[in-house]
Amino acid sequence: MQRQDFTIEKKRYRRALVMGLTIALAFILVYKLYDMQVLKGAQYGSQSQRNAIRRVAKDPARGLIFDKDSSIIVNNDISYTLTITPFEFDYQTFGELVRRFNLDSTLVTVRLRHGSRVAEFEPVKVKRDLSYSDIVFLEENKHRFPGVNYMADIKRSYHMKPHMAHLIGYVREISARKLRNDSSGYYRPGDLIGYGGIEGFYEKILRGAKGYSFFTVDARGKVIENFDHGQEDIPSVEGSDLVLTIDLKLQSFVERMLRHHRAAMVAIDPRNGEILCFASSPDFDLKYFTGQTPLRVWKNLIENKDRPFFNRASMAVYPPGSTFKPLIAAAALQEGVITPSTKIYCPGSYTLAGVTFKCHGAHGNITVVRAIEVSCNVFFYKLIFKLGLKEWYRYGSMFHFGRKTGMDISDESPGVLPSHKYYMQRYGKKWNIGYLVNLGIGQGEISVTPLQMAAYTAVIANRGTYYRPHVVRTIIDRNHGGAQPVKIQKERIPIEDDVWDLIHKGMYRAVYSSSGTGGSAALGVVRIAGKTGTAQNVHGRDHAWFIAFAPYKDPQIAVALIVENGGYGGDAAAPLVAAAIRYYLFHDTYTSTHTNAPDSVDAVRDSTQAVTAP
Amino acid sequence: MKSKPASIVGQVDVLILFPALLLLAIGLASIYSATLSIPNQSFFERQVIWALMGIAIALVIILSPPRSIYYSAYIWYWLAIAALLIVLIAGKTVGGNAGWLRIGSFGIQPSEFGKVATVMALARFLSDSNTRLNDLRDIGKALGLLLLPWILIALQPDFGTGLVYLIIFIPVMFWAGAEMFLIIFLLSPVIVGILAVIGLYPFLIAAVLLVVVFYLLHRDLGISLFVLVLNLSVGFGTQYFYNALPEYQRERIAVFLDPTRDPLSAGYNVIQSKVAIGSGGWFGKGFLHGTQTQLRFIPEQWTDFIFCVPAEEFGFIGAVLVIVLFLIIITRGFYLASQCDSPFTSILVIGMVSILLAHVFINIGMTLGLLPVIGIPLPLMSYGGSSLLSTMIILGILLHSNLYKHRSE
Repeated sequence: MQRQDFTIEKKRYRRALVMGLTIALAFILVYKLYDMQVLKGAQYGSQSQRNAIRRVAKDPARGLIFDKDSSIIVNNDISYTLTITPFEFDYQTFGELVRRFNLDSTLVTVRLRHGSRVAEFEPVKVKRDLSYSDIVFLEENKHRFPGVNYMADIKRSYHMKPHMAHLIGYVREISARKLRNDSSGYYRPGDLIGYGGIEGFYEKILRGAKGYSFFTVDARGKVIENFDHGQEDIPSVEGSDLVLTIDLKLQSFVERMLRHHRAAMVAIDPRNGEILCFASSPDFDLKYFTGQTPLRVWKNLIENKDRPFFNRASMAVYPPGSTFKPLIAAAALQEGVITPSTKIYCPGSYTLAGVTFKCHGAHGNITVVRAIEVSCNVFFYKLIFKLGLKEWYRYGSMFHFGRKTGMDISDESPGVLPSHKYYMQRYGKKWNIGYLVNLGIGQGEISVTPLQMAAYTAVIANRGTYYRPHVVRTIIDRNHGGAQPVKIQKERIPIEDDVWDLIHKGMYRAVYSSSGTGGSAALGVVRIAGKTGTAQNVHGRDHAWFIAFAPYKDPQIAVALIVENGGYGGDAAAPLVAAAIRYYLFHDTYTSTHTNAPDSVDAVRDSTQAVTAP
Repeated sequence: MKSKPASIVGQVDVLILFPALLLLAIGLASIYSATLSIPNQSFFERQVIWALMGIAIALVIILSPPRSIYYSAYIWYWLAIAALLIVLIAGKTVGGNAGWLRIGSFGIQPSEFGKVATVMALARFLSDSNTRLNDLRDIGKALGLLLLPWILIALQPDFGTGLVYLIIFIPVMFWAGAEMFLIIFLLSPVIVGILAVIGLYPFLIAAVLLVVVFYLLHRDLGISLFVLVLNLSVGFGTQYFYNALPEYQRERIAVFLDPTRDPLSAGYNVIQSKVAIGSGGWFGKGFLHGTQTQLRFIPEQWTDFIFCVPAEEFGFIGAVLVIVLFLIIITRGFYLASQCDSPFTSILVIGMVSILLAHVFINIGMTLGLLPVIGIPLPLMSYGGSSLLSTMIILGILLHSNLYKHRSE
């Protein structure tokens, strides 16, 4: 029998419909295949490579740091770091792991999440500096914690007598913020990075470059073999070693000398710009920052009102006070504003628009050399008006005031060297010529770092060559074995020799004449030229400055020292500078009674009493 | 009545036979490749045994007397129901569902055979001269034949196979002559129910649209309103139950709908499968050289994700070849259905082809990330005796029907 709904026509109609539908479905599949395999094939291809091939980073050993006699001062110790590979990790064990290793669970969670997004087969560093018992525990319980392992890593060890904390800087795990800002993509959470000082500045040179090994893995993350027999592996590049210019004995001497002060001293070899000593006090011992910093130490450092972390030598800024007078004098002489015989009258005070500025005595009719010797304020009040702000600024800028010295340290302040533009921006049209008066004696808006002052003193000492201050003398490339000296950069400052003669004379007399302000720095064994300064401090006692170079005829060291709240520079700072200079030039023959730093100014005075002006 | 073997060989439909044998060979090669890196296993050897058994069963079906399927249809149906009941009571759990019977060292899934038996019973019932397809009571009976095994499978639970049961009902009813509006009527609550999980607006829009189409086809306002109310109750009911589910179950359904949500568990398979297929490119990485396959990035790839193997190792060309071979079998089946004089054979063939079409499209669709992963095998290729045997039965029925298409019962 034939049913009504099974006629040939109806069946043909239905067949056309189901066949059309079937072909449409087949077309969907083929189109999707075309899209995936042909159009997006390359993309999926690289994804499949990444899937099956695990990349494991190899950290190179960080470069070492040597002193100038090639004895090691910063070394690497082996340290073990706990790692978790996100792909293999069993999150059920997380709680136990956190308890056993005292982990910061938030931090670890964030790192694992980051790790599983970026490269889930790569071990994520979770905790540094594992103890021996941690390692034993891991070895015994590895099977219970899939994906948990440890790796050999480094931590810094320090082998020098002085602290040098601000100069060296330290090495620790990269912070989340730094990681976010790392555009190179080099760093992973838990990686070490240099912070501050030399470690920060020379980070790329010290760290070298990570190497990578490639392994073929199955879906369980089990390593099957070296990918392409290791041919594709990228070897790590060892970090380079650094040789410093620092005189460790001097550094040690100065650190001990400044121990009870808030102070900073920088000493430079004026012949080449090498930093001989770079001290900021109070400081801290870097050994507390190699692994887990004990909470007590950390708290003490953080809560200390004297701020031991603060690098006063290159970050702190103070008005230079009278130590700036030689610069103004040199500029005025060079520009012909005054001659060596020009005399300016000092009645003991100076009045401008009804305001009286005092001098520390009535110096009478004096020349520029005498003005430096006695540090006459009135002379320089009047001189700054003759010189003008523009020239003052030009010369200050030549000595790198108001800009960074370019020293190879990661933290440096530029300070402030006010210009016409600066005043306009800051005060608008309201500022007037009266603001200049203060600049004449290095007070007011100007601020400088001790490092800048040392570089400036070195220029005075070598008669006009600005050497970029630097603390690294040589970089030793461990991969190629070459020792590459750091190129010395210098700038010539156009001031003539006879001008320098006068400046030197004034600074020599400041130390050795009976009316000089720096008499307490006078040494017998070697001639010193120097200049005192007092940085006005609205918050308390003034800061004491002293800059000096020696030997007078053949300068080998230029020093700048600030003692915070030290008061008058001639009292608080000058003797300490003298002691440092004497120690540097004669430490081999320094008598045993002086191997310890002088605790009081008197100790220095005793050895310098017999000196009179030539 | 001439049914000598010699003449049968001459009349076998080569457009079904040869593509099927080729797919079987590709499937065996793929299983070999996918399991090559697993030590101490015998997936390939076991599948060869299943294939030989399948060929033997297909031969038995082809050589059986002309009307034997018609007469035995209900017997197979009730045998299948019995087997489904037994696994519910004494079944063995494999891969999350309990639908396994153990026979020696081989496991059997009655739900795979149940599909074939259910289609036989439906064809028998729908082709009965007393059955009226515009009579709601008869449609109810047909639905009853479908839902009885479906409930037993849903209880296992095996969502994927259950879904295939529901899907094949549509072409079978359509081919048997049921009106379009009836099919929409039956289909709309399912569509609305699935959309209700996704969100409020998708299901509301679908419910209204379906009712509009229903009204245009049927022109009965009363029934249209009833369908609307039914759809809305299904939709809101689904939403209510979905929201009442524990968080982890809702998450599971969400992953179901969006596999990228949880790349390390459920969705992981799909991502790895897409990477495997995509990285195959135009010509593939070469037999036994698919990195994703050989490194076993896709768990149990030799079962539901077997399509990745030819797609990765033979590329776009290999993948399209597989699809074209299936397409030849399926369109040939539809052609055969239209040639059959007997309504029973015609409906039977449609049902068998629909089973194949549903499996092929859903399986490949899910490996390509087009459809959710519901764990149904690819006919002729996926590892597994039940799937392969039931497919061989289907092919046997198609070839048998082709021999006797011009006889009426």
